[in-house]
Amino acid sequence: ARPSSEQQQPVAAEAAATTTTRSVGYVGKHRLSAAIQRLDQELQSLQDELNELETMEPASAACREVITSTEGKPDPLLPITSSPENSSWDRWFQRVRSSRSNKWWQSKGSDFA
Amino acid sequence: MASVAELKEKHAAATASVNSLRERLRQRRQTLLDTDVEKYSKAQGRTAVSFNPTDLVCCRTLQGHSGKVYSLDWTPEKNWIVSASQDGRLIVWNALTSQKTHAIKLHCPWVMTCAFAPNGQSVACGGLDSACSIFNLSSQADRDGNMPVSRVLTGHKGYVSSCQYVPDQETRLITGSGDQTCVLWDVTTGQRISIFGGEFPSGHTADVLSLSINSLNTNMFISGSCDTTVRLWDLRIASRAVRTYHGHEGDINSVKFFPDGQRFGTGSDDGTCRLFDMRTGHQLQVYNREPDRNDNELPIVTSVAFSISGRLLFAGYSNGDCYVWDTLLAEMVLNLGTLQNSHEGRISCLGLSSDGSALCTGSWDKNLKLRGMAWHELL
Repeated sequence: ARPSSEQQQPVAAEAAATTTTRSVGYVGKHRLSAAIQRLDQELQSLQDELNELETMEPASAACREVITSTEGKPDPLLPITSSPENSSWDRWFQRVRSSRSNKWWQSKGSDFA
Repeated sequence: MASVAELKEKHAAATASVNSLRERLRQRRQTLLDTDVEKYSKAQGRTAVSFNPTDLVCCRTLQGHSGKVYSLDWTPEKNWIVSASQDGRLIVWNALTSQKTHAIKLHCPWVMTCAFAPNGQSVACGGLDSACSIFNLSSQADRDGNMPVSRVLTGHKGYVSSCQYVPDQETRLITGSGDQTCVLWDVTTGQRISIFGGEFPSGHTADVLSLSINSLNTNMFISGSCDTTVRLWDLRIASRAVRTYHGHEGDINSVKFFPDGQRFGTGSDDGTCRLFDMRTGHQLQVYNREPDRNDNELPIVTSVAFSISGRLLFAGYSNGDCYVWDTLLAEMVLNLGTLQNSHEGRISCLGLSSDGSALCTGSWDKNLKLRGMAWHELL
């Protein structure tokens, strides 16, 4: 979602510009021409994509890759092994000596002491 | 030049052609979706990851902000986190000790995003001032405790919603903006190197809300937008998006590359997370919440991140839930929002430490929390 009204600055300096084709003068023609050009370019882009899909692999190929890519990779947050593969993974639960005193640091607002 | 009437006719015809081709494309893509990750994984005999409620323990609560936390980022090397808040401050935390190493009062308090430089020596932030400010953390604060800005990146015509440094490049940074563009900046000169979108037809047609750089191929990045699409960009080719990804039905608040650099995850106002294949554009999986029993509106997804293997997809929601999705089985295997010591408000941002051993979440409850695997409990 876009930033909500509570985040807006109290003095709104510039409102977002909106473009509407009101007049039938030069400006209106110019905007229409530009819009048509954009549409033509998008048409070309869509046609290219359609051509690409003719020889594209189905989703199953990518799904297979997703599975294999997740396997065999040590992941500290997966409940697979009973101890960390890398001892540094456990640093969040080690007691940390406070720089201010010799007391063992105790985490306020955590589930362990 | 042709008359207005003729132009209008041409415009209508071109619009009809585009819509018709879009529909043909959508149908053709549908025939290529022969399966999704969930169905494929089940057919391969995979079963969902199983957590005990005491596994992902809250090991830190970082208190200090006096307003909602909107954004956070980890350093690549050390255990530091930078967070941005509605209180108009950036705080840099040593996440291991919970100490605040820096508290930076911002000139513009309406900050939306923050990022750490790859070497951990600078932080960047942006917001409703439409600019991205860089602070060097070794600068001395003045008598009032204000840290000097080392660079301001100006040029966007709308708010800066997201920013990220190009990995291993302290000098280059990408921003996403409410002006519908992304910009690649040279931080040392403050100059825009490239603009992605805007004048060019394949750019986003609404605000850009999020971006993610591919860490395995740092020339590629994706942007998520209020136009419900994700676009893939090549830093070397600003003139057109490489690909546009359709599927979501609402603003895309968060995008994040999958660890293999070939897929990416998204989170949206439509309440779903999705997994897309970068190369083909296929939507590989939708992560749908169970509808609320009381038929309340679906909470929106504010932020997503993958565990280091990609097996877990973490998703923060507007109602304070933080789902842990099994990426392969598309099953919610843990809701951190219902565990002990969870946040008391919307999850606005989340991110993994560089070694994947800790998840940090930021919330509208003004706090950041870290969760990790409680190994000692398992022994």
